[in-house]
Formats: sequence, structure tokens, C-alpha cells
Amino acid sequence: MEFKEVIGRRRSIRFFDPEKPVEREKIQIMLEAARLASCAVNAHWLKAIVMQRDYIPEDMLEKLKTPVLNVQLDLAPTHIYFFIDLGVVNQIQGSRLKELVDVGALPPTHGWSHRFVDELVYPQILKPLTEQPAYAAVAAADAGMAAGQALLAGVDEGLGVGLNTPNPEHIHEVLGVPEDWMMLWVLLVGYPAESWDAGGQRPRPPFEGQFFDGEYGVPFERDEAVVDDLKAANMIQRQAVPNDPERKAEIKALAERFGLPL
Amino acid sequence: MSEDLELGNMLDYEAVQIWLDGLRQHWGGDPVTDDSERLPTLEAFCQFVRVDPDDIIKQCKRVNKSGDPRISVKGRRKYASLIDEFQIQSQGSRLQKAKRGNTVRSFLIHNAILLAPGAQMTGSE
Repeated sequence: MEFKEVIGRRRSIRFFDPEKPVEREKIQIMLEAARLASCAVNAHWLKAIVMQRDYIPEDMLEKLKTPVLNVQLDLAPTHIYFFIDLGVVNQIQGSRLKELVDVGALPPTHGWSHRFVDELVYPQILKPLTEQPAYAAVAAADAGMAAGQALLAGVDEGLGVGLNTPNPEHIHEVLGVPEDWMMLWVLLVGYPAESWDAGGQRPRPPFEGQFFDGEYGVPFERDEAVVDDLKAANMIQRQAVPNDPERKAEIKALAERFGLPL
Repeated sequence: MSEDLELGNMLDYEAVQIWLDGLRQHWGGDPVTDDSERLPTLEAFCQFVRVDPDDIIKQCKRVNKSGDPRISVKGRRKYASLIDEFQIQSQGSRLQKAKRGNTVRSFLIHNAILLAPGAQMTGSE
């Protein structure tokens, strides 16, 4: 699939086919995509545990549920639990930056050397950063981007995906992860039981209200010719509309299939 | 054997009206006639728990110290488990039992008491 179409086709899938397992190689492709994401200071905060729903003991699965994350956990055959490894910066102490120096990604032309990392970057910038209240947000933004790449790779592989938040109260107990791993998301993966269109692309706030040109308050003007090109490339697709009879009929049929309330 | 709870006309309860309005707005049609089992099922549940519809909703809500309405976790859990019990003891096939449970869950959902039951793979009966 073309990259733009992958972006356009993505929906947060909430109805998965519970009986159709995901091929292991497709999960690996998603993880490979996450691993190659852009990453600040080459720290790689993102960690993940892949769980097959059918192998999660029922009492554990119940503990991961929240009132808004219940049906999806039951339906999705594969769950990828993403974490932010907050301890990683102080474990690697700049060593991965020095790898980037060695391979020429961080060259002396831009001020980089092993000594610069050892004497300034790690002790004066990174280590203090890990003690700042904002540290978790920085790490989460980075990890989120990597998880986003996994998600798009899943769409490219023909899978349905959806990011959700499992019950944080029990996550460490259930998955046995280190205490300094902070819960990020669970990425639910499977083949959609709903249509790919799933009612259309979700409503978004106006473009010009989100993006500014040169200074705050000056909207970045949207060129309709570009919009048309993106429509032709299937990146911008039919937008979901309220009370769409087709979507309602689809949800009713899914509710009946899975025994869900209306 | 304990006597039945004395219930008024189900349509007169505010929580029932909210439920039916919600169904009407979301799905269209007439929720009373398009599923003739809907109201009798809720009535049976009220008899099962011996609480009227408005009180069920009241028990699932609370007001915090600042006076803002909140969902009562305790109340929601209590009714989630009572609905499960009601569903299990209901007569009929697994599909019919799930439908009865989901009718009551729908009543709570449309009264803003979030209550996802989890998937019940009725097709595997």
C-alpha cells in the first residue's frame, strides 16, 4: 500500500474478528517499524510485550480491563503492551550517542565527539533531565512516535489496529515488568470485523485552527489543490457523518454477532 | 417467598424516559415497539434486584466534595455483577440470556453509567 493510503486507511478499530489470529511475521514487522523510529538521543525508551489474548489467563485479562476497554480486549487476538523505559538513559549513559558519533550520524561538523558526550551531554544535560518532572513527558512523546510507526506498519500489513489504555493499576503485576517501566498504551491488533471504512474518517478539528504560519494566530492556509491530490491518493477519505444509516446497520449487526448492548 | 416490588408504569420513570430517548436519538425508530421485550426485561430486572429504575441509576451515581456528579464505582460494579447474575438465571438460549442482560446494560449506558459487558460470542453456541 502507498504510504499516504496507509495514513488514510487507518482507523481505531474497535471490532476485531476474534477467531482470526495475526501472523507472527506481521507482528514482527510492526515491531521492526517501531525500532526504526526517530528517537531522541538514541535512547529508545519504547519497550513492548506482545501477548496473544488466548494465552492470557482470564483473571489477568479481567485486571487489564477498564470500563472503556473491555470489548476490544476480548475481541483483539493480539495485544502489544507498550511501555516507556524511564531507566534507560541512566543505564546507557550516552553510549548510544557515541555509536552515532562512530557511524557518522553525529559528526564533528555539528560539534559531536565521544568527549562531548561524556563530559557534557550525559552528565550536564541527560542525567539532570531524568530528574526533571517533565522527563516522563519527553520520553512518552518519543515512545509514542515509535508506537505510531508500529501502528502504521500494521495497517500496511492489512491489519486492524487500535491504541488504548489498559488499567494502569494492575499492569506491573499482570505483565511482571520492571517498576521503572511506565505504561504507555496497548496496541490491539487483529483483522477487523467491521468494514475498513468503519463509517469513514473520523471528524477532525479545522486544519487552520491547528497549524499556524510564521506566528501564533496566523493560520497555515490550506491549499485545496493539495487536498485534492491527497484525496486522489486516498489519504483524505470520506469523512464520517452523524447518523449514517449504513454505519448504524453495521454496528447493529456487530452487536448481534458479539452479544453487545445497543 | 418475598412479595414483588411494587412498580409504577415503567414509562413514568425518569431514567426509563432517558433510556428510551437515548435509543430513539441514536438508533431511530420507536424503542418501545421495535423490541417488545425491552420494557418487560427491565421490569423483570427491577423485580430481580427489588429496586425501581430511578433508584438503580441513583445508586450508580454520587456527588463529589465539589458538588460535581460522578459515577459511583461501587454502584456500577454492584449492578454489573447483578446484571451478570440476572443474565445467567434468565430462561432461554445463551443468545436470549445475553440479550436480556444487554437490555439492562443498555438502560444503564444511556443513563451515562458506563457499563461495557465484554464480548459474548453468541455465535459459538
